[in-house]
Amino acid sequence: MAAGSSSNVNENIPVFEYKDINTKPFHVGSFRTAWLEKLKPIDYSYEDKYEENEDADFAKEMGIAPETLDELKAICSVDTLRGQAEDEPLDTNVVPPDPTLQTLIQRKKKQDYKGTLRIDKISRVDHYQDELESLAVGKRPEDPADLVPEGEIILSINVLYPAIFERFRYVRPHMTLQMLGSHSLVDLRDAICCISDLQVFGEFSNTPDMAPDFISKDHFKSAFFYFEGVFYNDMRHPECQDMSETTIEWAKTRDFPTFHKAKMEDTRFYDLKVKVGYPYLFCHQGDCEHVVIITDIRLAHKDDCLDRKLYPLLTHKHRVMTRKCAVCHVYIGRWLTTNDPFAPNDPCLFCERCFHMLHYDEKGNKLGQFLAYPYVDPGAFN
Amino acid sequence: MPNGKAKDRFLKPLVADYEELLGRFQQTESVRFEEFTAIWRNMGFSSVFYGSLAGNEMREFCHLTLTMAFNYFLPPYSFQIRVGGLYLLYGLYHTQLASPKEKIRIALKDWEQIQKFYQDSVNSQHYDAVYIIRKLIAENAVLYTAMPQMLTFRVKKKPQHHKVCEEFRDRPERVKDLISTDMLQEVANIQGHHERLKASVLERSSIAVTQQDLPARLHSCVLEFLHWQDRHENHGDADHLVYAEEKAQQVESSNRAQLLASIKTKSYGCLAEASKSRRHRQVEMDTSISGTGYIKEAPKYHKSRAPSLKARTNKNLCGEGDEQKIQYWLLSAAEEDKTALKRQKRKHSFRW
Repeated sequence: MAAGSSSNVNENIPVFEYKDINTKPFHVGSFRTAWLEKLKPIDYSYEDKYEENEDADFAKEMGIAPETLDELKAICSVDTLRGQAEDEPLDTNVVPPDPTLQTLIQRKKKQDYKGTLRIDKISRVDHYQDELESLAVGKRPEDPADLVPEGEIILSINVLYPAIFERFRYVRPHMTLQMLGSHSLVDLRDAICCISDLQVFGEFSNTPDMAPDFISKDHFKSAFFYFEGVFYNDMRHPECQDMSETTIEWAKTRDFPTFHKAKMEDTRFYDLKVKVGYPYLFCHQGDCEHVVIITDIRLAHKDDCLDRKLYPLLTHKHRVMTRKCAVCHVYIGRWLTTNDPFAPNDPCLFCERCFHMLHYDEKGNKLGQFLAYPYVDPGAFN
Repeated sequence: MPNGKAKDRFLKPLVADYEELLGRFQQTESVRFEEFTAIWRNMGFSSVFYGSLAGNEMREFCHLTLTMAFNYFLPPYSFQIRVGGLYLLYGLYHTQLASPKEKIRIALKDWEQIQKFYQDSVNSQHYDAVYIIRKLIAENAVLYTAMPQMLTFRVKKKPQHHKVCEEFRDRPERVKDLISTDMLQEVANIQGHHERLKASVLERSSIAVTQQDLPARLHSCVLEFLHWQDRHENHGDADHLVYAEEKAQQVESSNRAQLLASIKTKSYGCLAEASKSRRHRQVEMDTSISGTGYIKEAPKYHKSRAPSLKARTNKNLCGEGDEQKIQYWLLSAAEEDKTALKRQKRKHSFRW
């Protein structure tokens, strides 16, 4: 079509690559400028707009008289949407009798079914977990310098747990973080909590009291993100290695487009070119890989948490069951033993007290031959 | 949003309700907000949020309602339906029960369409539509996002695309889109350029490869099509009546045919072939089938069988009234009675 060239194919406007699945890659910073161009600053500001100013602007634009305006306001007010009978207090927890709407018919079935249940089980933890989202809503900082500026971008990022098991096929355990556009990738990296960071290696059956003075997080500091063909490496500390080097070398020998490298600490979210809704990779500890999906990018709103210090903000976290001690079933397991003649199965979990009581006498001598490793429970972050 | 399960469940009835509401609005053939609120109150639409929804479900449901309603605000729906969609969004935003309120998500790619819609409303002096758009933006009811929904890469689940309701669709403007004024302008320019080049190159410029008056002819074609569309729509009602009459005649004739067919089937019947041993007890024909309705259905066996000897003996002597009693006390149950130890299985689990 000859007229096709006149239509503006603006690359900064995100469009679907596959409908309802993910978008084509776009530059986050340019997306922000595109929105800010199209809006008036008052549209996205945090202050309440004064009604009189609004009305005055409206009347001027449409050229109508004040009486018409008042009439219009009365017609379009929200009260017209409520039902006639306003005298009796409306119980919104119960479906009204004789519903005509399909949604209500469906809901009434569920309500009637619930009435037949003798026990109503609500898991307390699930109840509080749902509230995690709204915990930080509307928070304002004490120090105005910490206020998230208007027109700032907020990203919602899902970081999935490294799930290799079959039972994770239908569930997607993940944690959802909200980040500001001006944060850099290292802020995201620090906010991701993975238990492989806390692992301690080493066999401690001979020295159970020596507290391990290092955890994997301090030992192996390298990590990288992979977004759209670019590896972002964490190079803050001198012992960090470039883990992406091997992959890039390997890709050169095969038929892959060339990958690039960049530094994680120098890249802010504004500089990224990403697809929304598309899985990317975060790798740390050498082989602990997490899938990272950016689910949403939007402008900041009055009702969001506006305190910079609280970001990155955790809005959802999947709860993992903690494994308890095999003996008392009360405390969380801290020690894992193998080749242990005292244990009912191999390997076996023990809590601190049961472990000491079973394997060591009063003087602290080791009884029997066994191997013991400190165990970090996956539910440590609950 | 954490999981998409709520979405799947609530989607169909919600869309059905929306289409009901918008269908009624379409029939009023007006774009006034008063008409809309009358229908809203009539249907009691505010109650769509009632009924206690567990935990976070209320918030997810409100999010879903706004996302689904937003689809009706965009093309390819007709202007009236889009205005209906706008009013629907306004109503849902204000009557929702989640607190703080769930916002309306507007993606960057749809902003142009919305601006066009706004301009059209201003030009046509639809005060209420303009006022409502301005009010929504002024109240901070809008989130400016990249995409209309949060995308979590759920490829395994078939993504449910929004099915455009055919009755609400706008008149197809494909001809106008293809041959727009810009395009005509460009064609005219190219033609002029071509003529000039031809004149400068050739001595005899009587050879004409292209049609001389191409832009004018394209323009007249488009106008003709538009007129035809208008006429077709205006005469739509008259045509509809004629069409309805024809249909009624067809229905009558088919009714007669059905009646004849049913009489035939009654006489020959769908007789189940009785087995040899029980041939003396033929299967009874059910002559109670009414009127023209049921042709192909096999005659139902209405006459109930007499209870067998075994059943009668059981009833008289053993007394089956206690079958349903649930044994609460295991100590009082007989040892041979295995049912007492078994947990009573719930008769039917809830199906959405």
